[in-house]
Amino acid sequence: MDAVRTKKGMSILSEEPILRLEGLTKRFGSHVALGDVTFAVERGEYVALLGPSGSGKTTLLRSIAGFEIPDAGKIFLSGQEITRANIYERGIGFVFQNFALFPHLSVKDNVAFGLRNGAKRLPNDEVLSRVLQTIAMVGLTGLEERGAAQISGGQKQRVALARTLVMQPKLVLLDEPLGALDANLRLRMRAELRQIREQLGIPFLHVTGSETEALAMGDRVIVLDQGRIGQFGKPDEVYNRPATPNVARFLNRYNVFDGALDGEVFASAYGRFAFGVRMASARSAYAVRYDRLVAKQAGTVSRAPAIRVNYVASEYLGAAIMHFFETNDGKVVEVEHHLSNGPPSAFSEGEAYDLTWTAEDGIVFG
Amino acid sequence: MSSIEAVVSKTDQQPDRGRSAALRSYLLIAPSVIWMALFLILPLAMIVYVSFWTQSTFKIEPKLTLDSWQTFFGSDTYLNSLWTTIRIWLIVLISTFVLGYPTALFVGLFVRNKTLQTALLVLCVIPFWTSFLIRVIAWRPMLGKEGAINILLMKFGFIHQPIEALLFTELSVVIGMTQIYVVFMVGPIAFMLGRIDPNIIEAARDLGAGFWRILRKIIFPLSLPGVVVGAMFVSVMVLGEFATSAALSGRKVNLLGNIVVTQVGSLKWALASVVGVILTVIMGFVIAGLLRIVDLKKEL
Amino acid sequence: MESRVLKPVLAVYVGLFLLFLYGPFIVLGILSFQQGPEGGPQFPITQWSIFWYRDIFGLTPPSRVAPLPIGVSLFRSLVLACMTMITSTVLGVMAAQAFRKNFPGKTVSFYLIVLGMIVPGILVGLGSGLVATTTGIERHWWSTAFATHVVYTLPFAFLVMLAIFNRFDASVEEAAWSLGVSPITTFRKVTFPLIFPGVLSAMLFAFTLSYDEFSRTLLSSGREQTLPLAIYSTFSVEIHPNVFAFGVLTTLFSFSLLAVYAILMTLSVRRAKRVAIQEAIG
Repeated sequence: MDAVRTKKGMSILSEEPILRLEGLTKRFGSHVALGDVTFAVERGEYVALLGPSGSGKTTLLRSIAGFEIPDAGKIFLSGQEITRANIYERGIGFVFQNFALFPHLSVKDNVAFGLRNGAKRLPNDEVLSRVLQTIAMVGLTGLEERGAAQISGGQKQRVALARTLVMQPKLVLLDEPLGALDANLRLRMRAELRQIREQLGIPFLHVTGSETEALAMGDRVIVLDQGRIGQFGKPDEVYNRPATPNVARFLNRYNVFDGALDGEVFASAYGRFAFGVRMASARSAYAVRYDRLVAKQAGTVSRAPAIRVNYVASEYLGAAIMHFFETNDGKVVEVEHHLSNGPPSAFSEGEAYDLTWTAEDGIVFG
Repeated sequence: MSSIEAVVSKTDQQPDRGRSAALRSYLLIAPSVIWMALFLILPLAMIVYVSFWTQSTFKIEPKLTLDSWQTFFGSDTYLNSLWTTIRIWLIVLISTFVLGYPTALFVGLFVRNKTLQTALLVLCVIPFWTSFLIRVIAWRPMLGKEGAINILLMKFGFIHQPIEALLFTELSVVIGMTQIYVVFMVGPIAFMLGRIDPNIIEAARDLGAGFWRILRKIIFPLSLPGVVVGAMFVSVMVLGEFATSAALSGRKVNLLGNIVVTQVGSLKWALASVVGVILTVIMGFVIAGLLRIVDLKKEL
Repeated sequence: MESRVLKPVLAVYVGLFLLFLYGPFIVLGILSFQQGPEGGPQFPITQWSIFWYRDIFGLTPPSRVAPLPIGVSLFRSLVLACMTMITSTVLGVMAAQAFRKNFPGKTVSFYLIVLGMIVPGILVGLGSGLVATTTGIERHWWSTAFATHVVYTLPFAFLVMLAIFNRFDASVEEAAWSLGVSPITTFRKVTFPLIFPGVLSAMLFAFTLSYDEFSRTLLSSGREQTLPLAIYSTFSVEIHPNVFAFGVLTTLFSFSLLAVYAILMTLSVRRAKRVAIQEAIG
């Protein structure tokens, strides 16, 4: 990350991350929305920002864009500090969840708006050619003259994207851009979004509440937990090695048990579990992935770790089946069975079963 | 937080950006604030100040004295107009309430169709959109000896002699004012009545309450904030009135407002200011009193 | 059970009530067609004619009835109303825009502005006249009366714009800023077009209030009268049916203003339609 200085004092940025946050903190009254957030996004990266509602992910995005001013900390864009810079001078694109198109303008005028009204005034024909090019890139050719309020949700999404991309921003922030679309459209747009971005090479920071979206789209994933970074890493790292119990929970793939580490095992209310991975964490917990559990008849399991549960119901997911079990004190334990592993077992409601897994699949936090 | 503060803070839409932002806000609000301070607050303050000035026949001087105050309170004519103003205010207040409430009841409670409700309210408000003075003068051909009312009553044989007391009396002023201001009662009351959940009335009826009981115990109390708001509007306007009394009473009814106008006409600023202060004080009491009846902040 | 009896009774009452509200107008309208110039301002109608309407426009031969002093005073009223409309709308939009953020003194400013619509006309007029006289400033319809007109109409414009901004979705402004457009240009190109229907309402409000304004003007105007003042001065003398004809015309004028407003509103609302309030999710 060294900057080499030329004689004129300009730095030739070698590996300077496009975005760097240092200790960013933001409070709303007594509520801490962001607490000491530090991370960097490299050039050309697609970073997904995952977190449940209230985790501060939107606040984080808005602070980077300049819609909110942080109480403490710094934000650097290509090495330059922009913490308190004016929104309109940052050169950062923003795609809103509700699209925020200019309803009184056509699609073409929406996309051209930044070029026509920004600080630099480009000649008209250059504006037009860039606009039409970008509209073609997002696949909206033919809709240029339509009113912004007269197109479908998916089309609005593309206009919002085009409007930002035509400005050739250094970084694009997306606030749950696919959240307003129906499930089908969402899946198609995911692929398109990735494709468009790779064409342009602009780094994206994409906020989402959906863990599948985050894992699918990001080169790296930040998991935000109550205003702090829970984990920041590649999708498979995050998926297989969640750094904290909360991250494990957000992924919606792990059963998490409370308890405490006791020597070489984890002591919980449901038994003592051996484990394979130890993650340093402030909180104590034990996690095992849904698809690592096997259900057997009660009493037939001799090896640990295991847990006694009653069967509740099952959910058919297409390529897999999700079985729901419940402990005696009401904790729900989920088991995912991929149908490629064989036909599913049949369970009887209310009957007792033992769920078991290999110790290596157990992750201990503490 | 009072409800005004609540309303005011609900207008916040943009984040705090430090000192340059506060400066921008001040620049935007300054013209309005300065205008109001110069052309509203200053004049009002002057009224109070000038009421203590010395008034000679043609001049007025800043020498402080209670002369004009003594003139006012020492004169029967002026004191009379004080009582007349208060009396007419009370009568008009009551009559606008009595006349307006049933209409508000009908529009707010009995008409369930929202469009019809709006249409009826618009119908009541349309007269307001025409010239105030025309509305005042329009009563003369109605109330005179050869006016429309007398003609109709005589035609249908209700009376044999035209009623003289209809025009150029206190009664004509009351009638005129009531008609002009009653809509300010109907509006707020209808609004509050429209907000009553019909299930409450259903429930009360199921419990066996008769209509008058429901009206007294449920409907009226719930409409009270609207009554108070309407009363405030009507009071402020009636207390500041002079045109209706001038046009319809033939100078017989002298309200405080009329005194202000005539005194200003003869350049007796000090006395006019005294009356102005008295009017303000009365209005202050009325509004404060009305606000005590209902905690508007909670209800609205 | 009671409501079955009560509802029709109340309906009849409301009918009578509306008659009470509109009665004088109807009578006034009828009498405006009184024979002139001998006909008086009361029944019976000796002969139906449009004499008095023609009299308003100066199309009748001189008679013992003085024509209404409309001419110049109408012009003054219109100009004053336009001046007031523009000033109070500009100030009101600025103030409402300021109110979108928090700042020290916000509540006081709110009370200060709204006070202008609560204080009765004669008090403000009296005060203005006082200030003018004691400081030696001459009272004119275009200076002192203008100032008090704005005091009266600004709160209305302000409240209308507050309501409009309350429902305004600011994310379009944020979008414009994020595209590199300065706040001033954003206001011009994005905010203003979207709040325009509200601005139009505020303007109409201010114009109508100022055009008909009487009590404030009486005491703060100079010798040159606005239209309401001119009309008022005829009251003390004998009134003639020309006042009634004038009343009908002025009512029609108000209605046509409302109609123009309605047309402008529908046009601009249709253009910026799914607008002023951004629809949630398309």
